[in-house]
Order: sequence, then C-alpha cells, then structure tokens
Amino acid sequence: MSWHVAPDLLRAYARGEADHAAASSLEAHVIHCPGCRQEVAAHCDRQGLERVWGEIRNAVEAPPSGPIETLLVRLGLADHRARLLAATPSLGASWLVSVALSLGFAAFAAQQEERGLMAFLVLAALLPLAGVAAAYGPGIDPSYEIGVAAPMSSFRLILVRASTVLASTAALAALAALTLPRVGWMAAAWIVPSLALTVLSLALATFMPPILASGFVALIWGSIVIVTTRVTDNGLVAFGPGAQIGLLGLAAASVLVLAFRRDSFDLGSHV
Amino acid sequence: MQTNSRTDGGLLDAIAGGDVAALRELYSRHAPWLQLRLQRRCSDRDAVDDALQDTFVAVWRKPSRYDGRGEVAAWLWGIAIRRLIDVLRRRPRALTLLAREDFQPSAEEQVLLGVEHGDLAGALNRLSPELRAVVQATVLDGLTTSEAASLLGIPSGTVKTRMMRARAQLREEFA
Repeated sequence: MSWHVAPDLLRAYARGEADHAAASSLEAHVIHCPGCRQEVAAHCDRQGLERVWGEIRNAVEAPPSGPIETLLVRLGLADHRARLLAATPSLGASWLVSVALSLGFAAFAAQQEERGLMAFLVLAALLPLAGVAAAYGPGIDPSYEIGVAAPMSSFRLILVRASTVLASTAALAALAALTLPRVGWMAAAWIVPSLALTVLSLALATFMPPILASGFVALIWGSIVIVTTRVTDNGLVAFGPGAQIGLLGLAAASVLVLAFRRDSFDLGSHV
Repeated sequence: MQTNSRTDGGLLDAIAGGDVAALRELYSRHAPWLQLRLQRRCSDRDAVDDALQDTFVAVWRKPSRYDGRGEVAAWLWGIAIRRLIDVLRRRPRALTLLAREDFQPSAEEQVLLGVEHGDLAGALNRLSPELRAVVQATVLDGLTTSEAASLLGIPSGTVKTRMMRARAQLREEFA
C-alpha cells in the first residue's frame, strides 16, 4: 500500500487529538495494514495492555466448567455459586449413576414381591440422606477449606447444596417410582421420610460431625422400620399414614432447631 | 516485521486447538490499535479495558466464528465494539464520548489534512459533535441503529433523526 499513516497523525490520534476525518481514515487503513498496526503499538498504554492480558490469561486458563456447572449457569445461577455447587461430591456423575442403578434394581425387586417394595421405599428414603451427608464437611468435600474461608455463610452453602442434592436424588427416585404403577400411591411413600430424615440429619449436624449425624439418623430409622416390620408382620407400617404424620412433625421440629442453631456451621467447632 | 511468521488466520486455527501462546501473539498484534480505537469511542478507561478483555476471551472461546473471509482485524473490531456496548450497558454511566471535542487543529494541520482528504474531510469535520458521533457509529463502525443508540447513550429515534440531519448537511455541502 502506498499510503501509510504519518507519524504526526499517529501521535495526534493516540492522544485523542486527531480530527474526525483524519482519525477515520487512519482507522480504515489500520484494519488492512499490519505495518501501521505495529506503528500504532508504540503509542498505546503498555501497562494497561499487560494488565488486561493477565486477566485474559486467568480467564482462559481457568479449568473448563463441567456439564453440571454449565447447566446451573444456564439456569441463571451466578458463576461462583455454580462452581461451589458443582464441586459437591454427591452431584458428581459417579454418584448420580450409582443412585440411579440402585434405585433401578430396587424398583425391579419391588415389582416382584412385597418385600421388594419395602426395600425400594427404604432405599429411596435413605439415598437423599446419604447424598446430603456426602455434600459437605471436612474429609468429603474437596472445596471444604475454601468454603470455610469464603465470605458466604456455611449455612447457606449447606442449604443450597443439600436442597440441590435432595432434589436431584429425589427426581431419580420419582422416576423409579413411576415404574411401579401396580402399587399406586404407595410408590411415593418414601417422599416424606426422605425429607424428614434429611432435615433431621442437618439439625443433628449442628451438634456433631455431619457424617455421624447422617449415620445416626439412618441407623435409628432403619431399626424402627425393621422392628415395626417384625412386630406387626406388615413391612409397610413404617410408611403408613401415622408414620408419615409423625415424620412431618419431626421435620418441622428439625427446621426449628436448624434455624435456631445455624451459626454453629460457621464456627466449625464441632468438626 | 512480525516476530511470528504465522498469519492471523493461522493463529486463530492454533487458538481453536487451545494454544494460549497463539492467543498471546494475536493479542500483541491487535490489542494496541483496538485499545486506541476503543478509547476514541469511550473515555472510560476501565470500560475499554473490560471490553478488550471480553473481546479476546470471546476469541478464545469461539475462534471458529471467524469465517475466513475478510481481515481478521475487521472481525476483531466488530467483536470489540459490541463488547464495549455490552460493558456500557451493564454499568451506570458517567460517560463522555469522544472526549476531546474541544480540540481545534492548527491552520497548518488543516491545510495538510485538506490535501489528504479533500472536501469530504472538511465536511465531516464541520458536522456538530452530536451528528459526527452518529455518523461514526453507524457508517464507519457499521453498528445498527440500536447498537449505536446504546453506545452513545441516546434513544434509537434520536440516532435516526441525527443521521438524517447529518446526511442533509453533507448533501448540502456537496451540492
């Protein structure tokens, strides 16, 4: 190209002093001329450019977000929340696959006989509990240390994670329950127990390590189911109307305890 | 002249393969003029930096958006000016566009520029700053009416009427 940007014009342009027409022709020329682009570089804010480059490098070298994180961001969650949620161990693909598999087998067994149905209900009630237990706490959560140091209350993080895990596990259980049309509403009898047990374990976790709380709740409830089955010779008593109402009451009480003692998650004294 | 013999298109291919060094090279070739050109559109340095950052992050994520036709530089500018509009939309603005409207070129410069650009230059320069900003955004930067409206912080209808007035004035000068 025969026309190139004169040094004077370049200087004026960089200072924002070139008039409109001259600046416009410079801009049109620079698009097509690598040589003049290099000349322009001598007039730019180098420090600023290096700073911006640092930001760009951080952005492009950050680990790529996984499918769950991408989905959460699509659903309108802020980036950092999505990352905290996606780091939940019991939202990982391996966890969800094993939940789906065990529910599938249990649902299959439930179609064969009465005891199979009971096994399905017990499993569907306990899986969300296990999922929530594996959703936070030291030794389980790889982002636990970060979470403790983060300017976000641990209680909120735990609630957000627990409800997400509860929802995803419950959704899988509901899908499995759909394969049991024969038993009618009984196929949904695990919903209240699973909710109540999860909330109870969270309430207990304000007193003891979360893993212990969940194990304790699972053990007690499992024993109650077995004992009532033995005594009444009816495997479904533990899922009957009386039990459901009792568990609802227990859930309500646990919510109160949780609301009252939520600060204990932040102190981390029990863990 | 250039430290790296690869073409801009070649760099984009490498970026598609996850080559950060290629992005760095593209950045050192194009960020300087993009920075200066954006600064002429917006006097808020932070907004310009953010737009520049968003531009190259967007290039990193979707280098395949470049269709291989035309200059990579023109494609980059298209991204950069739209990123700047996005940045300005996000922040409440205390904006002074085209910062140095008060600048008057010296008589000598005016003569030199007159030789270079003929009458059109004079005619463009005689437009009021408001009309000139609209001409720049729509004609020279190739923005749509609503994009120009966002960049300049005025309603779309105003962009249209100012464009009509600018056209009328230029037509009169050349009549």
